[in-house]
Amino acid sequence: MDSLVISSLRQRPTRTLISVLGVALGVILVALNTGLVEGMLNDRLRREQGVGAEIEFARQSSGGWSPSSVMSLDTRYDDPLKQIAGVKTVSPVGRHVQSGNSGLGFEVVEGIDFPSYAEMSGLQIIEGRVFQADDEVIIDQFKAQHNKLSVGSEIQVFGKTLKVAGIYAPEIGSRIKLSLDALQNYLAAPNKCSTILIKVDDPARQEEIQQQIAAKLPGNHVILRRNLNLGMSNSIPGIKGFVRAVLGLSVVVSTLVILLAMYTTITERTREIGIMKSLGAPKSYIIGVIEREALAISAIGVVLGFVVSLLAAWAIERATTLQLEFQWSWLLTAALLGLAGGALGALYPAIRAANQDPVKALAYE
Amino acid sequence: MTYRIGKVDVNALRGVNLAVPPGEFISIMGPSGCGKSTLLHILGGLLQPSAGRVLVDGEDLAAMGDAARTDMRRRKIGFVFQRFNLFPALTAEGNLNVAERIHGDGAQKMTSEERREVLRLLKLENKMHHKPLELSGGEQQRVAIARAIVNRPAIILADEPTGNLDSENSAIVLEMLQKLNQEFKQTIVMITHNPEAAAIANRTVEMRDGMIINQGSRA
Repeated sequence: MDSLVISSLRQRPTRTLISVLGVALGVILVALNTGLVEGMLNDRLRREQGVGAEIEFARQSSGGWSPSSVMSLDTRYDDPLKQIAGVKTVSPVGRHVQSGNSGLGFEVVEGIDFPSYAEMSGLQIIEGRVFQADDEVIIDQFKAQHNKLSVGSEIQVFGKTLKVAGIYAPEIGSRIKLSLDALQNYLAAPNKCSTILIKVDDPARQEEIQQQIAAKLPGNHVILRRNLNLGMSNSIPGIKGFVRAVLGLSVVVSTLVILLAMYTTITERTREIGIMKSLGAPKSYIIGVIEREALAISAIGVVLGFVVSLLAAWAIERATTLQLEFQWSWLLTAALLGLAGGALGALYPAIRAANQDPVKALAYE
Repeated sequence: MTYRIGKVDVNALRGVNLAVPPGEFISIMGPSGCGKSTLLHILGGLLQPSAGRVLVDGEDLAAMGDAARTDMRRRKIGFVFQRFNLFPALTAEGNLNVAERIHGDGAQKMTSEERREVLRLLKLENKMHHKPLELSGGEQQRVAIARAIVNRPAIILADEPTGNLDSENSAIVLEMLQKLNQEFKQTIVMITHNPEAAAIANRTVEMRDGMIINQGSRA
């Protein structure tokens, strides 16, 4: 690499460090937020797919799978659904969303009809017993281990202290479950649920059965759960806009930090620029020196950003139940945005440097 | 040629007419503010005259745009300044390398053997890994000379090269310039206030109030 670039980085360690941190911040923003979004969606998707239902029945207004606390579907739909040929099991589920225990993210609490849900999903109580009262919940092994909970522990749901009656496996659906009756009581929504899960006799016929349900019970939302992947990212309000905002913010942060750093630098280096000009350096050479310096800072910032993101992800996963998943495409995007922001931020100072009057620059004190 | 400065039209140079044949070493003398440095900057393409022509090997610098003048400077001209103007964060070696990199891979570039010979002449063989602040003024100026000639420019423009040096270092630098002129046949234009320094040149041009008042005669 150009020794002018390396010497400048070394000569101004504070400037270099602050610029590197600025670019790293942009990279961390992208990596952590997309990692969090992907991690939460994929984790939820894996657990939802483990429930074993092929079809989900919901109110049209709910817009499909949604982590909301709305309980607007009448549970009495389960009778007509059971009568449809090919339907094996029907299980109404209520959902309540609350903020995560650590204050980060959110967590879904499900109210279930245990017999039908267990039959559909193969859920088993591996420690303790199933809930028997409104103030009892069951939790999965991950929740138990992560939050150091055991049978008899107390847990906050709806702002109330409930008791852990049992621990279940495998990890499916939400990590906290209580009886549907209890959820209806807490939310003052008798005979209501959020959705009805449907397991069919023959998964190959799920589309046909979906159409039969839609024809028999029109005006409702009948979703094939194999499409949950698309449904989830589309149903969480503003998720795409949020990711775009994070990307934009990352570019702005990187660009501004580099712009300020390089602008200050070229003022300090006015005389050096005059020397380069006296040596016959064309504008492209001077722009190249400034841009290479910005790219070197950005590259270090990108690497630092990745390291900090990995450490932060490890810490977040240890401290909360949030899951982070880094995807190569997002990491590459973060790296490119960091480098592009750096290059863009350096462009104006570089052009300004290249256009300086050589005689005035040489006389600069 | 003529050069005007600012809105009030100060004529820094007025009707200057100077011819320097290839391989000649001339010195320019005159009181402060008489236009010596302006003339040198115009000869090196750092400034553009308001009127007139500046012919270097038949090419008119005055008619060129900034990019073409920069290219001419890169190919044919080496500057030596009173204040050395080295890159402070780079070693002597690094300063020479930057000049070479800016020059590119032209045919004029010195071979490594020629470069060693120049460093030997300038007594810099053991100083190349030092940064400017670790060198004496004389050593810094010798590095600046090495940097100016590393790409074998046809013309060296020296703006008071001994102005910041003691008499011993001044003598070394002047001797080097003389050797470069004699051994490498480089054309040298040197500004100086020192008559002893001016005396080593082939002729001395005198300036006053933006004009040449004496073209001097070849020694």
